[in-house]
Amino acid sequence: MFKNYLKIAWRNLFKNKGYTIINIGGLALGIAVALFIGLWVHDELSFNTNFKNHERIAQVLMNKTGNGETRTRYNHPYPLADELRSTYGDDFDEVVMSSFPGDNVLSLKDKHLNEYGAFMEKGFLRMFSFPMLKGNHNALSNPNAIIISESTAKAFFGDEDPMEKTMQLNNDAVVTVKGVFKNLPKNANIFDALSAFSEPKALQFVASWELYVTMNDWVKTARDQKLWDNNSYLLYAQIADNSSMQSVSDKIKNVLYQHLPEGTKRSNPQIFLHAMEDWHLRSTFQNGQSVGGTIQYVRMFGIIGIFVLLLACINFMNLSTARAQKRAKEVGIRKTVGSRRNQLVGQFMFESLLVTLCAFILACGLVLLFLPFFNQLANKQILFPFVNPIFWIICAGLILVTSLLAGSYPAVYLSSFRPVKVLKGTIRTGRSATSFRKVLVVVQFTVSIILVAGTVVVNRQIQHSKDRPVGYDKNGLVMVEKTTEDYQGKYNALRDALKETGVVQEMAESSSPLTEVWNSNAGYEWEGKDPDFVTNIVAFYVSHDYGNTVDWDLAQGRDFSRDFASDSTSYILNEAAVKYMGLENPIGKKIRWYDGQHEVIGVVKNLLTESPFEPIKPAIYSINYNQTNWINLKLVYGKSLAASLGQIETVFGKFSPGVPLNYQFVDAAFEKKFKTEERMRKLSEIFSILAIFISCLGLFGLATFMAEQRTKEIGIRKVLGASVPSLFQLLSKEFVVLIIVSGLIAVPVAYHFMKQWLENYTYRTSMPWWVFGTAVIGVLLVAILTVSYQAIKAAKVNPIKSLRTE
Amino acid sequence: MLLQLKNIFKWVNSGGQRIFLLKDINLEVAEGEFISVMGPSGSGKSTLLNVIGMLDTFDEGEYNFLDESVHTLKEKHRSNLYKEYIGFVFQSYHLLDDLTVQENLEMPLLYKKFKGSERKAMVADMLDRFNIVGKKDLFPAQLSGGQQQLVGVARALIANPKLILADEPTGNLNSQQSEEIMELFKKLNQEEGVTIIQVTHSEKNAAYGSRIINLLDGRKV
Repeated sequence: MFKNYLKIAWRNLFKNKGYTIINIGGLALGIAVALFIGLWVHDELSFNTNFKNHERIAQVLMNKTGNGETRTRYNHPYPLADELRSTYGDDFDEVVMSSFPGDNVLSLKDKHLNEYGAFMEKGFLRMFSFPMLKGNHNALSNPNAIIISESTAKAFFGDEDPMEKTMQLNNDAVVTVKGVFKNLPKNANIFDALSAFSEPKALQFVASWELYVTMNDWVKTARDQKLWDNNSYLLYAQIADNSSMQSVSDKIKNVLYQHLPEGTKRSNPQIFLHAMEDWHLRSTFQNGQSVGGTIQYVRMFGIIGIFVLLLACINFMNLSTARAQKRAKEVGIRKTVGSRRNQLVGQFMFESLLVTLCAFILACGLVLLFLPFFNQLANKQILFPFVNPIFWIICAGLILVTSLLAGSYPAVYLSSFRPVKVLKGTIRTGRSATSFRKVLVVVQFTVSIILVAGTVVVNRQIQHSKDRPVGYDKNGLVMVEKTTEDYQGKYNALRDALKETGVVQEMAESSSPLTEVWNSNAGYEWEGKDPDFVTNIVAFYVSHDYGNTVDWDLAQGRDFSRDFASDSTSYILNEAAVKYMGLENPIGKKIRWYDGQHEVIGVVKNLLTESPFEPIKPAIYSINYNQTNWINLKLVYGKSLAASLGQIETVFGKFSPGVPLNYQFVDAAFEKKFKTEERMRKLSEIFSILAIFISCLGLFGLATFMAEQRTKEIGIRKVLGASVPSLFQLLSKEFVVLIIVSGLIAVPVAYHFMKQWLENYTYRTSMPWWVFGTAVIGVLLVAILTVSYQAIKAAKVNPIKSLRTE
Repeated sequence: MLLQLKNIFKWVNSGGQRIFLLKDINLEVAEGEFISVMGPSGSGKSTLLNVIGMLDTFDEGEYNFLDESVHTLKEKHRSNLYKEYIGFVFQSYHLLDDLTVQENLEMPLLYKKFKGSERKAMVADMLDRFNIVGKKDLFPAQLSGGQQQLVGVARALIANPKLILADEPTGNLNSQQSEEIMELFKKLNQEEGVTIIQVTHSEKNAAYGSRIINLLDGRKV
C-alpha cells in the first residue's frame, strides 16, 4: 500500500513539473525562512547561557529618581562591593567589581595592539566559570596578572607559550600573562547591555583589579577614602544556592542609600539584581522597570517566521485544491475499487508529507548556502546544528506540523468526492472550495501587505532620525581615543604638529566622544531655580578649539576664546539646557556648581550625541584640559584619506611611540546608533520580499489552473467577439478584488503594530496614509504582473483549439 | 437470488417539478445471469446500474443484495458490501494514468488487504488469463483502447466479485475490439459463472446476454 502511495505521489510530482516546482520551491522557501528565524531566535535566547552558573549570576543595577523620573544605571561606588560581601555574605557566593570595558594598548616589545578588555576582581573567573585554556581560575590573584584571549595570544606570541611572559599595558604598567582563555562566542557577552548604540566587541583580555587601582589615582582615592558618591564601577554578583534573585534584590535595595553622605540622598538610589539571562533580552528600562529590549524583536521575528511558513502552507493547500479536478478521477476509481475514505485521506497526507520532506531537504540546502550571508547581516556566528539531536527532533516536528497543516484540507476535500459524479465528469470544484481558496489568498496577501507596510515605516523612521539635525559637521571628523598618558600636557605641541602637516584643519580635545555621553553631573544651582528641582546635566569638558573643530552653531553669545582668561571657568549651554533651566536671557547668567561660580557666555544649537531617537539632553560645555579622553580632528577637505591618516599617524607616533592610532570616523560611529534598526530593516525587507514572492508563487499557480478551468468559457467568449484586453480584465478582476480586500484588512493591523513599535521612540516619524496606500498598490501591481502571464496566455489561445476538446 | 429491486423510484426536483430518473423498477437477478440493459439516451440505464452498484442512492423502494436490505444499510456498510462483491467496468476504462498495468491490477487488492505474495500471485494469474503479461509494465496511455478495456475488465475481476457491472464497456472501442471484449464477457459468464449486468446501445452486444431489459424514461418496458 505504502509503496503504491509512494509511486503515485512520485509520478504525480514528476508529471506536473511546474506545479511541483511551485509547490516544493515555495514550501522550501517558507521552511528556510522559518529555519533561519528559528536559528536566530535560538541564538538570541541562548545569550550567556553557556556560562555554567548563569542562572545565579546577576549584574547589580541602580534606579535613581529625580524630578519624578527614574533612570536605571550600571555604575556604582567603590565601597558597595565590600559592603555586599561583608554584610550580605550569606546571600552571595561571589561579588565582583569590574571597570567599564574599553580599548587599551597592549604591547610586547615593539608590537603594540589595541585590545578590548577590562579590569576585574579575582573572583570573576570562578564566578563565570571562565573557559581557560591555560592557567586556572585563580589567575587574577597576582596584582600584575593579565589573562588574554586565544586570538590575542596568537597575535603576540604565535605558537610560543605566553604563560608567565611579561607585557606592557597602556605604555604604563608591566603585566604578567597568567592565563589564556578561549575566544568567547558572540552570544557570550558580559558587557552586552552596555553596547546598545555601538557594535559589541569581543573581550580580549582581563587584567587584575589591583592593577586598575595602581594605574588610576582616582580609583585609588575612591578606595582609600571609601567614596560612596562616586559611581564609576560595574558590579556583578552570584547569589547563594539557596536564595532567589528577587529575595536578594529586596534585601539589598537600600544598601547604597543608607551609606550615602547626607545631602546626596535625594536621588534615592535603589539597587537591584538584573539576572544574567535578561542581560541581552531585557535590558531596556523605563522608569526603573524592565520593559523588554531585544526580546521584542525575538517575538516579532518569531511571529514573522510562523507567518511566512503559513503562507507557504497556504500555497500548498491552494494549489492542491485547485488541482482537485485532475485528481478527482483517481479518487473516484480508488473509491469504486474499494478504498475507504480514511485511506484516501491517508494517501493525500502521505503525499503532503513527501512534498514537505523534499521541501525540507531543499530548505536545509538553502540555509546552508545562505547562512554566511545571514550571519553577516544579523551579526551572528550561527552554525548549522548538524549534530544537535534536539534540532533534528524539532525539525521532524516542524515537518509533521507543516505537512499536516498543508495537507489536511486537500486531503479531506479530495477524499470527499463521490465516485459517481467524479467518474461521470460532472464534478465542478464546488463553490465552497473556491471561496476557501479566496480566503487563503486574502490571508496571504494580508500578511504580505502588513510586512511591506511595516518595512516602509521602519525605513521612514530610520530616515527620519538620520535626517535629524546633529548640530555639528560629521564630515571629515575623526576621533582618537587617548589610551595612554603620553599626550598629557602636550596639547599645543600636538595641535601645532598636526596642523603643520596640512591635512588637519583643526584639533580639539573633549571628555566624551561626539557620539556618546560619558559624564553628567548633579548639583547645579542658578538664579530662579526651584530648590526641589534635582538637576542632572550632561557635562562636556573641552578644549578652546572644540567649537571650531566640530563646527557647532552658536545661537547666542560667543564661543570659547583664548583672549578671555576668564573663559577657563565660563560655560556654554546647549539650547536644551537653556530650556531645562528656564533661563530667559542666558548670556551673562551665573551658574553655581561645587567648584564655584560660572558665567554663561554662549548658547549652541543642540548637538546630537546620544540616541537619535530621544530628545537631546541639557548639556554644559566647559574648558578643562585635564579631563579629556578624546582628541578630535577636522581633516582638510579634498585630501586623500589614506595619505592624511598616514601623516596623522606619524605625528601621533612621535608623541606616543609605537602605540597604534585608535581612531574612528564620527560619521561611521554615528551610523552605529542605528544598528538595531538597520538590521531590523534589512531583515524585514528580506522577509517581506520572500513573503510576496511566496504569495505570488501561489497566485501564479492558482491563475494557471483558473485559466485552464475556464478554457472553454474563454473560447466561447472569443468566438462571440471578446477582445484580448477584455478577457485579460475578466481573468485578473477576481484577483484584484481579493488583494483590495487584503489591503482593507492589512492596513489597520499594520497601522496598529507600527504605531506600537514607533512608541519605542520619542523622536519618531509620522505614518501618513500614503505609506499604506503605497504598500497596497505595490503588492497589487506585483500580483497583477504575476497573474497577467497566465491571463494573457489564456486569452490569446485560438478558440478552435479550446473548443475542439468538447 | 443475487439481488432484487422492488418498486425503485429515483427523482430529482427541478423548478418545482419532480423529474423521475427511475420509475417503479422491479428486477430480480439470479446468480450466473448475463443481463443487458438497453434504451435510448437518458432513459436511466446508467442510473440503474449505479443504483445496483450502490454508487448512487434511490428515493423509494427496496433493494436486497444477497439477503441484505441495502436501503436500510448505512453508507459505510453499503460501501463494504459493494467492495466485496461488485466489480465495475467503465466506458472510458478509468485506469489510473500514473500506474502501470500491473499496478492498476494490484490496486483493488491493496484495499482488500491481501498480503504481498498473494497479490503477486493474483496479478500474475490475471495477466496470464488475459494474455497481457507482455504489457504489464506499460502505462495506460501506451495501450490501445481495447487493451485498456481488457485491463479494466481484469481489474474488475481480480478480487473475485460475484457481479460485474459494465457501463457501455465497448462504447469507446471499434467493432473488432468490441467483439473481443464481449466474447470475454461471455466466456466469463459461461465458464466461470460470473454474473454480469451490462448497459449497451448495440443490439449485437445485447445479444450476448441471456436477458435484455429495456428502459424508456426511467421505466421498464
